[in-house]
Amino acid sequence: MKLRRSMLFLPGANAAMLSTAFVYKPDSIMFDLEDAVSLREKDSARLLVFHALQNPVYREIETVVRINPLNTPYGLKDLEAVVRAGVDVVRLPKTDKPEDVHELETQVERIERECGREVGSTRLMAAIESAIGVVNAYAIATSSKRMIGIALAGFDYCVDMQTERGDGTELFYARCAVLHAARAAGIDAFDVVYSDVNDEEGFLKEVDLIRRLGYTGKSLINPRQIELLHNAYAPTDEDVDYARRVIAAAEAAERDGLGVIALNGKMIDAPIVNQAQRTLQRAQASGTRK
Amino acid sequence: MSGEFDFYTVIPAQAPDEAAEIRQFLAACHLEMDGNIDVFVVARAGRRLIACAGLSTNIIKCVAICEDFRGESLSLQLVSEIVQQAAERDHFHLFLYAKPCNVPFFRGCGFYPLVEVPDYIVLMENSPVAIDRYCDRLRMRREPSDKTGCIVINANPFTLGHRYLAQQAAAACDWLHVFVVSEDASFFPYSDRFKLVSQGLAGIANLTVHHGSEYMISRATFPGYFLKEKGIIDSCHTAIDLLLFREYLAPALGITHRFVGTEPFCPVTKKYNEDMKHWLQRAPSPAPAITVVEVQRTAQDGTPISASEVRRLLASGNFDAIKPLVPATTLQLLISDYAPDTTRRPGIYG
Amino acid sequence: MKIIKEAIAGTLESSDLLVKVAPSHDDTLEIILSSEVIKQFGQQIRRVVDETLQRLGVTAGSIIIEDKGALDCAIRARVQTAVLRGAACTDLNWEHLS
Repeated sequence: MKLRRSMLFLPGANAAMLSTAFVYKPDSIMFDLEDAVSLREKDSARLLVFHALQNPVYREIETVVRINPLNTPYGLKDLEAVVRAGVDVVRLPKTDKPEDVHELETQVERIERECGREVGSTRLMAAIESAIGVVNAYAIATSSKRMIGIALAGFDYCVDMQTERGDGTELFYARCAVLHAARAAGIDAFDVVYSDVNDEEGFLKEVDLIRRLGYTGKSLINPRQIELLHNAYAPTDEDVDYARRVIAAAEAAERDGLGVIALNGKMIDAPIVNQAQRTLQRAQASGTRK
Repeated sequence: MSGEFDFYTVIPAQAPDEAAEIRQFLAACHLEMDGNIDVFVVARAGRRLIACAGLSTNIIKCVAICEDFRGESLSLQLVSEIVQQAAERDHFHLFLYAKPCNVPFFRGCGFYPLVEVPDYIVLMENSPVAIDRYCDRLRMRREPSDKTGCIVINANPFTLGHRYLAQQAAAACDWLHVFVVSEDASFFPYSDRFKLVSQGLAGIANLTVHHGSEYMISRATFPGYFLKEKGIIDSCHTAIDLLLFREYLAPALGITHRFVGTEPFCPVTKKYNEDMKHWLQRAPSPAPAITVVEVQRTAQDGTPISASEVRRLLASGNFDAIKPLVPATTLQLLISDYAPDTTRRPGIYG
Repeated sequence: MKIIKEAIAGTLESSDLLVKVAPSHDDTLEIILSSEVIKQFGQQIRRVVDETLQRLGVTAGSIIIEDKGALDCAIRARVQTAVLRGAACTDLNWEHLS
């Protein structure tokens, strides 16, 4: 089970950020070759990310690259570069339908074979940025065995919906739909970026909402947001106590060869045990909530 | 992750309001707005203008940063952006004017000092070797001679006055180097001016005609020269141009004397000749002094021959009056390519 | 790979470098490196630059580098970008770039 609470966006053309971002220790780092890179720097960003991915400092951290859409002159070149450089996850922007992922997967597999990388080792995720994408979310989430998650991208989605970013009302349906699609498919769900880096209170309010909804995590644009997010996702001391007891009960049941796990006289099933494992994993990563 | 400041470009000709704001900002930084900026890069923190840098062809000017923000990061981003803007306009060899106190900063931006007018201004370029490579190429055309002369002419167009000057100079020296100003900012394009000089000086055995360069009466070394019809003269720029000549070009070719025609009409050229005596002969410099020799202009019917007079006569198609002022080769080209009905061309400078 | 026009890549920002390439006047390869950390890392930077140019098959040109303490991976990327731009090359051979 991989923790994916925080996915930090880094503009692919910025050498300084690429060289230092690992120190912030997000759960995943996402190098952006798409919107954060101007047309004149598409070529240089691709090479920077290509070499950064091979830098030993990124060996310990999950790397994601948002490539340009495959119907642009940049998308396929981006893909060639990052698959060869050993990226963990390719993030496809503007995904409307499962066929978009199939097209990506075909190319990924070809490149894996050409460069001698284990076929299937490049994982995928899709960003959903339109009304049709939201409607097709489950089909997208189940479009490939390589999929690790789907993400909602708020800005383009709101434009498509003829509304604008506000207090979250505008994302109400999309957030629920994307999350359900991901959970039904058994993959992760990532919420939109919160772009006002100076509004800590607003950020925490949004984090609280998506955590309670059940989101795996959130895309971030500023390293300052990482610790805030991790703390908000950290369990309380009570949560940890309870989780420890659940795990202990599960281990006891296993040891005694019992088919049923019981705690305080109540039966516990597998999803509760998984939940408890996640709680302890988060506590181990960032302690308990302050 | 995103940067702290917003950078964007302003084309002054298309954005008069923002240009006025930049002018105000520069004034607050004790700098003057240059009228020839093609594009500015400006930085804002929120709505506040905090830094700007201008590009005029391949010359970076009007670089200013608000005192509150003079950290490394903003200034390096600013210079990076203006260098990018230059590259997008196909300018890679860049010059920059800086106050002497700012030289260390621009040194850290990849600019190297060429010459300094002490306590006033420094001309820098973005290569540590470009001027040396240029001098290496000049050195290959050095001639064995003790008294080596030089003249620099724009020849817009080449007249008998230019030929007379070259004849006098060549007679007074063992060898003469003639440079043609290569900046294409004159009525006659460089290719025609160079051709007419080469043809017009044929027959004088002890001289070499050289192509001009960015290091000699160019927009970079002497922007005022190309604005002379507007009557703008900037003495610090004559100093930059002349010091470059004295410290780099002249030693490469072993030049000991520089010849100029006396200039009764044109205030820019007159001032340039006076400055020449100061910066080439008298001013302190690590390079040896160069003797400035003024040659009385040759006259036709009592009026000294000048290229501007030829252009004036050309505008009215008065080839009879032009004929005694220019060599046959120049006259031929004027008649074939520049007769008044074909003279509607973009060149606007003298 | 032959450099046929002037080009730049990179920036002057900290941890980055600005690379300027130009065709050679006399078919020689000239590399000029200026760095804030030249004393400690000059040789290492120079080695990375030489190796990168060699893999691209660049044998002539003028390469001027203003380094601001960049990591090796940024140096490789910027040198490659400047050369590819200067060679007007858009067809990437990943074997030569890694």
